[in-house]
Amino acid sequence: MTSLLKRLAGGTGSRSVKAELRGDVLFALVIGVVGLIAILPGRDGAGTAMADMQLVGSIFAVIIAAIGLNLLTGYAKLVSLGQGAFYAIGAYGFAYLFLDGGFPALLAILVALILSGIIGALLALGSMRLRGPQFSMITLVLAIVVERILEQLETFGRASGYPNPLSHGTGLLEPIELFGTRLEPPLLAGTPGNVLVALLIVLVIVLVLYRNLVRSSWGRSLRAIGESEHLAAHLGVNVFSRKVVVFTVASVLGGLGGIFYVQIFAHLQPETFDIFLSITIVLSVILGGGGTVLGPVIGAALITWLQRSDVLTSVADAQQDLFGTDRWYLSTPGLLGLLFVITLFLLPNGIVGTANNALRRWAGADDESDADAALADLEVAQLPPREERREPGAELLRIDGASKRFGGLQAVGEMELAVREASIHAVIGPNGAGKSTLANLLTGVYQPDEGSFRLDGVELAQLKAHAIARSGVARTFQTPQVFPHETTLENVKAGFVDVAQLPLWKAALKPPSQYRREREIHDRAIELLDRVGLAEDASTLAGSLSYGKQRALEIARAMAMDPRLIVLDEPAAGLNPTECDGLAALLLQLREDGMAMILVEHHMDLVGQVADEVTCMDQGRLLAHGSAEEVLADPAVVAAYLGVPDPDDVAEMEVAR
Amino acid sequence: MDFVIAGLIMGGLYALIAQGFVLTFLTTRTLNFALGEFLVLGAVIGMGVGSWGWLPDAGKVAFVILTVGILGAIVYRFLVLPFTTEGPHDARWLLSTVGLSFVILNLLTNSQGATPKALGYGGFGEFSTVLGVRVTTQALVIAILAIAITALLVLMTTRTPLGLLMRAVSEDADTAALMGVSPRRIGMLAYAIAMGIAALAGVLWASQVGVSVHMGLPLLVAAFACGVIGGLTSLWGPLLGGAIYGVLTHWASFELGGVWGETAGLLLVVVVLIFRPEGLLGRRLEAKL
Repeated sequence: MTSLLKRLAGGTGSRSVKAELRGDVLFALVIGVVGLIAILPGRDGAGTAMADMQLVGSIFAVIIAAIGLNLLTGYAKLVSLGQGAFYAIGAYGFAYLFLDGGFPALLAILVALILSGIIGALLALGSMRLRGPQFSMITLVLAIVVERILEQLETFGRASGYPNPLSHGTGLLEPIELFGTRLEPPLLAGTPGNVLVALLIVLVIVLVLYRNLVRSSWGRSLRAIGESEHLAAHLGVNVFSRKVVVFTVASVLGGLGGIFYVQIFAHLQPETFDIFLSITIVLSVILGGGGTVLGPVIGAALITWLQRSDVLTSVADAQQDLFGTDRWYLSTPGLLGLLFVITLFLLPNGIVGTANNALRRWAGADDESDADAALADLEVAQLPPREERREPGAELLRIDGASKRFGGLQAVGEMELAVREASIHAVIGPNGAGKSTLANLLTGVYQPDEGSFRLDGVELAQLKAHAIARSGVARTFQTPQVFPHETTLENVKAGFVDVAQLPLWKAALKPPSQYRREREIHDRAIELLDRVGLAEDASTLAGSLSYGKQRALEIARAMAMDPRLIVLDEPAAGLNPTECDGLAALLLQLREDGMAMILVEHHMDLVGQVADEVTCMDQGRLLAHGSAEEVLADPAVVAAYLGVPDPDDVAEMEVAR
Repeated sequence: MDFVIAGLIMGGLYALIAQGFVLTFLTTRTLNFALGEFLVLGAVIGMGVGSWGWLPDAGKVAFVILTVGILGAIVYRFLVLPFTTEGPHDARWLLSTVGLSFVILNLLTNSQGATPKALGYGGFGEFSTVLGVRVTTQALVIAILAIAITALLVLMTTRTPLGLLMRAVSEDADTAALMGVSPRRIGMLAYAIAMGIAALAGVLWASQVGVSVHMGLPLLVAAFACGVIGGLTSLWGPLLGGAIYGVLTHWASFELGGVWGETAGLLLVVVVLIFRPEGLLGRRLEAKL
C-alpha cells in the first residue's frame, strides 16, 4: 500500500501502458460512480429530492466551467474574471436558439458552443499580448458587458427573465428530446429529472478528455507557458497560438456549463450571471487547487454546495447572535469573499495541491538520495545513435554578417561563425563582447538587423524563437531556467517535441498510439536523466536542485528535443571544479554521439578541454578564430581580456611620476 | 454639442476615481479591484460623521479622506503586498482585492440596506451653465477638482523629494530598495493617497446622488475604463481617458439608447487594450530578461 501511494505521489515508478490504461479507466469509473450515487436520490422524482437534484445539477454545470477556467488560470496562469460571461453566452445562446430560433436541441447546443468559442477566440486574438492585470481586466470588461446586455436587452426579457410568460406564454423552456426520451429537468415533484443522467454522461466524457489533455504533452505546454512564456517559446511552443486555443477551449467549456444550467432550471434570470458568478468560478478553481486535475472539480462542488446550502446562512445568523447586531455581519457573498482571501493565505495551492504536496513530502521523506552526484561523478551512459547519420565535420550552421544594434550601441556587428557537425565551437570574449547577444540572435530572442543564419541551408534569421527551436536549435540559459514546481522528470519531458507539436485532439482523445508515445517519452526522459547524472533525482522538484544540477537538467531537457545544434550559454558559470570536469566529460560524450554545440563560455579551462574551434569576440566583432591554442595565444585576444596600455596613458603616468 | 459638455463633466468624476488606479499601478504595479467599495465606504463614513455638528463640513470630508486613506495603506500592507512576492506574473493580489470587495460590499449592504440615503452636506448649489449647457454645479466642481488634483499629483511627483522616491520605486523597486528607499512604505503611501482620492470622489458624488452601496460598481467600471484608455502609467492619462469615455458614453446612450452607452465605452476599452495595451499616454513596460 505504502509503495503504491509512493509511486502515485512520486510519479517516477515506471507505469506500463497497461497500468496507465487501467488508471484511466478507473478514473472514468470512479467519477461515473460518484456522480451516479449523487443523482440516485432523484430517480423516482420524489418532491423532497428536487432541491438536492438541482444542487447536483448546478455542481455539474460549475464543474464544467471550472475545469475550463483551470486550463487557463490554473495551468497557463492567465487569470480570467470572465468565465461567467461564457457561461451566460452558452445558456442564453442555447435558450434563444432553441425557443425563438426554433433550432433542434442538439443543433442549438452545437451553435451555442461554437458561439462561445468564437467570442472567446476573438477576445483571445486581441488580448493575448497582454498578461497579468490587463488580461484580467479585459475579461472582467467582457463579464460586465454581457451582464449589462442581459439586464437591459428587451429580447431577453430584462428582469422578467427568459423565457417569460409575457412574451413566450411560458416561464419554462420545453425539455429537450433525445432518442424519443424527454429529458426532464428536476423541477416538478413526480417527474424524475432524468436530464441529470444525460448530463452525467457528458460530464464524465468531458472530464476524461480534460484529464487526458492536461496530463499530455499539450498540458505540459500550458504549464510551460504559465511558468515562462519565454522559455516555452524556446521549447518550440507557439505561445500566441496556444494561448488563443486554450482560451477558446476554456470559453467553450464555460458555454457548456451554461447549457448544463439551462437543462436543469429551464429558465434564466440575468442576475444569475453577474460578476459574482465569474468570481465563484475562479474561487472554485483556487480553493480546489489550480493546476491540478481534480482541484476545480472538488472546488466547484464545495463552493456550489456552500452557496446553496444553509451553512452560510447559519454562519450569518451566528454572527448576528454573537455580535448582537442585525446590521454588521457577513452573509453569503461576503463570506465567500472572505473564504477567497483566507484561501489565498492558507491554501495557496488549494485543497488538492496541498494534499499532493503533503503526499509527496511523505513519500520522499525516507528515500533521501545522497546528494550532489550530478555532473560531479557522472557515469556517462551511451545513448542509441540518432537515426540519421551525420557526416562529422560537415558544415551545419553558418552565420554571416550578423548585426544587431540596440539604440546607439552596436551589440553585434558583421559577425561570422561556422559550426560543424559533431563538434564544439566555443565563443569567448570579455564581458559585453556580444557573445550572449549572438546566442540570443541565433535562437530568436532578438531578430537580427542584418545577416544570415543558415542551419543546414535553411535560413533562420527572421524566424520566431519557437520556429527556430523546431528547426532543431536547442539552448540552455545563463541563469538556469527550469520549472521549479515540477519534478526533474517532468522538466525533461517538457523538452520533447510533442510539447510543441502534439495536436489537441490527439492529446484529448488519447488513442493507443498516444499511450505508447507517453511510455517512450517516459523511458527516454529517464535515460536522459541518467545520462546527466540526475537519475536519483527524478522525483525531486527542480526548484530544490542545486545550481549545478539545474544546469545538468537544462542540458537533459535540451537533448530531449533531439536537436541538431545545442547552444550552451555559459554552462560552467557557478559550477565548482569537480562539476566542471563532469560537464566537460558530458559535452565530449555528446560530441562523440554526433551532437554539434556552440559553447558561449568564460571558463578557459573548459574551453581548452573541449572546444574543437574557438571564436573570440570583442565589442560585437570577430576578433580571432582558430583552434583553442591558437586563439588563446593570440596577442589581440590577450589584449582584449587584459587590456593593453595606451601609449598616451603611459606617457602621462611617466610625466606624473 | 450638449453631450460633449455633459460627457466631459462626467468624465471628470471618472478621471478623479481613475487616479486611484493610476497612482497605485505606477508605484506598485498593482490595482485595488475593491476601489469601488472604498468609494462607497467613503460615502458611508461621510454619512456617519454627518451628525458631528462641531466639525465644519470641510473637516468632515478631510476626516473621511484620512480614514479611508489609512484603510488603503493597511489593505496594501496586508492584502496586496503579501501576494506580489512571486515575480511579475504573480496576480494573486488581484484575487485578494476582488475577495475584499465582496466582503466590504456585503458588509455595507447588510448594514445600510439597498436604498440610497441623503448625505446632507458637501453640496455646491443647484445648476451652472457651461458654454450654454446646464450642468449640476456639483459635477462641475468635481471635474475642476479632478484637474486640480491631477496637476497637484504631477507637481508632487516631479518637484518634491517624495515624488522622486515614488518615481524611483516606480522605475525599479528592487534597485530603489538597495538605495535605501522602502518600496513598502512608498506603496502604502500611494495606496493611502489613492484611496483617499476615491473617498473624496465618493463623498462629493454621494452628496448629489445620495449614499448607495450600489454606486461603487458602475463607477469602478467607468474609472477602470478611463484608466486603461488614458494609460495606467500616466498621471495625465485619466483626464484624457475620462474625457474620451465620458463623451463617447454620453453620445452612445443619447443616440443609440441606454444599454449602449456603457457598452460602447467598454468596447472602446477592448479596442485600446488590443491596439495600445499601455493606453494612449502610457509607457510600454518592457519585460526584463
